[in-house]
Amino acid sequence: MNMRWSEFIWFALPAMACWLTAGIGVYKWKKAVDLFMIGGILIFSVFIIGFWACLERPPLRTVGETRLWYSFFLTTIGYITYKKWKYNWLLSFSVLIACIFTCINLFKPEIHSKNLMPALQSYWFVPHVTVYILSYAMLGAATIASFIQLRNLQKEKPDKTLYSLIDNLVYIGFSFLILGMLMGAVWAKEAWGTYWSWDPKETWAFITSAAYLIYIHMRLRNNHQVVTLWTLPVAFILLLITWIGVNYLPAAQGSIHTYSN
Amino acid sequence: MKKNKKNIWEFPWGYTESFSVMGGILITGFLLQFFSGNVDIEMLHASANLIIGIIIFFIPVVFTIFRKKPIYHWFSGIPFSVTVIATLLILSLIMGLIPQQTGSADLYSDFSFRMGFTRISSSWPFVLVYLICLLSLETIIIKRFLSFRIKDYPFYLIHLGIWLLLFTAGLGAADMRSYVMYVREGETEWRVYNEKGQVLELPIAIELNDFDMELYPPKLAAIDRETGDIQPIGKPDFYQIDEQNPKGNLAGWEIAIEKYIHHAVRNSDSTYREVHMPGASPAVKISARNQQNNIVKTGWVCAGNSAQLYMTLPLNDQYTIVMTQPEPKRFLSDVFVYTKEGEKKHSIIEVNNPLRLGSWTIYQYGYDAEAGRLSSYSSFQLIYDPWLPGVYIGIILLAAGALCMLWSGNKKRRNEYEME
Repeated sequence: MNMRWSEFIWFALPAMACWLTAGIGVYKWKKAVDLFMIGGILIFSVFIIGFWACLERPPLRTVGETRLWYSFFLTTIGYITYKKWKYNWLLSFSVLIACIFTCINLFKPEIHSKNLMPALQSYWFVPHVTVYILSYAMLGAATIASFIQLRNLQKEKPDKTLYSLIDNLVYIGFSFLILGMLMGAVWAKEAWGTYWSWDPKETWAFITSAAYLIYIHMRLRNNHQVVTLWTLPVAFILLLITWIGVNYLPAAQGSIHTYSN
Repeated sequence: MKKNKKNIWEFPWGYTESFSVMGGILITGFLLQFFSGNVDIEMLHASANLIIGIIIFFIPVVFTIFRKKPIYHWFSGIPFSVTVIATLLILSLIMGLIPQQTGSADLYSDFSFRMGFTRISSSWPFVLVYLICLLSLETIIIKRFLSFRIKDYPFYLIHLGIWLLLFTAGLGAADMRSYVMYVREGETEWRVYNEKGQVLELPIAIELNDFDMELYPPKLAAIDRETGDIQPIGKPDFYQIDEQNPKGNLAGWEIAIEKYIHHAVRNSDSTYREVHMPGASPAVKISARNQQNNIVKTGWVCAGNSAQLYMTLPLNDQYTIVMTQPEPKRFLSDVFVYTKEGEKKHSIIEVNNPLRLGSWTIYQYGYDAEAGRLSSYSSFQLIYDPWLPGVYIGIILLAAGALCMLWSGNKKRRNEYEME
């Protein structure tokens, strides 16, 4: 099997077609949703598995490779959450975001070699990055939901079930975030000598989790609802800086978390 | 819901009072910072940090006497907790946006240096807020233990975990030491360099039996024969040698691999053969076909090393094919470690596989990068951290709490008013 970025388009296009059909069909033709969502996810998984086998290492090293997982988890989690909570918009939005990330990978794949540097050769590598991407997917969905709830608040009709969904997504996403951070700390002790060194990526991961902690604690009281909900989009922007933006910051030029070059 | 308007500083305190108190703490911190410089964390090494730790531990315990007072409710309540987290967030934002300095610097004229912006993690405001965070966390934990409920176990795990983590990591920072030791093959060494570059003797010695290195297959590139620039300029293109994918494209030439030898030594006639010896380096025989005029060039390419010369394949007057230096796959040191107590331990130390010995951890650090596989020495980083067990217990508690939270979502959450 020889599956590389050049073959991605043959899996990405059918997968996106399936997802979009489901994302639009959910409003009119509910029966087809299961078939198209699962079909799309399966097609996408075949590429990930083949790509992994071809690279002879997990495709989790570069931002392009993590985007692959983001699309995968976003559609999978979006579908499962839709099945449980029956929010149509949730399915459409997760499909849309997954397609945007897939398209970025089509147009700007950031192709890299197979070589994995010694510091990354650890059994912590796969769980550390996977739980982060999983967490990003859940927190992304929570952000979308927060906008819907903010609109509800404007109409002075906050949706109780929606609050429950947002809180669950944030709690689960935040748990993954913490687990990713702790695994990173244990790994860093093995590889670099310190479990926490305020490296720019670590600093930003701390900032992100502090922002979600603010949401979680403020939700314990029901006042300041608008401020509380707005912390989610702000936290998600901080999350995006941690994930992608940090490489472009002047403060991060010496980061030991840069592997792309 | 309409509330009666209350004046500031009238109990119960909320966000206004919390932010005001925190603002006061920050101003104090920045003034201290401006006039006395960074906190010298190393000054607080054992047993000063232990005494400080005991004091920090007992303040919230004693504070419990006032648990019926409104100030206790405020200090252990949501608005103040949120304020503490938000302040830590803002201080770390400064850390994430302004490049942080390592080592010592003398830039006293610089404003952001004097305010501690360039070394937040050891600045007064950060250390003060960190302390407040520890105190408020412990107060909350004690308060919740006083109204103990077994089904709140995620809360206890998470808060105890984070408290222990912050407590041991913060105080332990004063005792943590890091040294670098260079050992030549066949020799035994116990002298190290500290972070300031001074030579010290340690109660640990390392004997290096062997240093070895495995390499990835290298890459090929087309360079300009005159300037040496990799083509195309500004967006250099590389072909990764891979026997499963033996075709590539460089500067308008189709590259095909005919033979790749990972441990190659040059013959007298500019060809290569496979020999497993220290001075061997990767070599590849390729054919390159010009996509416009179909001219084919064939020959060996080798990056060379300190034991043998490099070899290139000229394509035309303008370009030539070269090989990059191979990237390391793994490098490892076969060592004996001796302690002053007479212990002797054999180990293979490599990246991601350090050796733990009491409060010491020994890491593979580096090697002679120019010599690569032929390096005659290996360097080690030795880290002393007696507080590490506490950090690990904190990590385990916090991870267990996160797993519980994953399992139960927000169902287990106790309403704040339920417990008051």
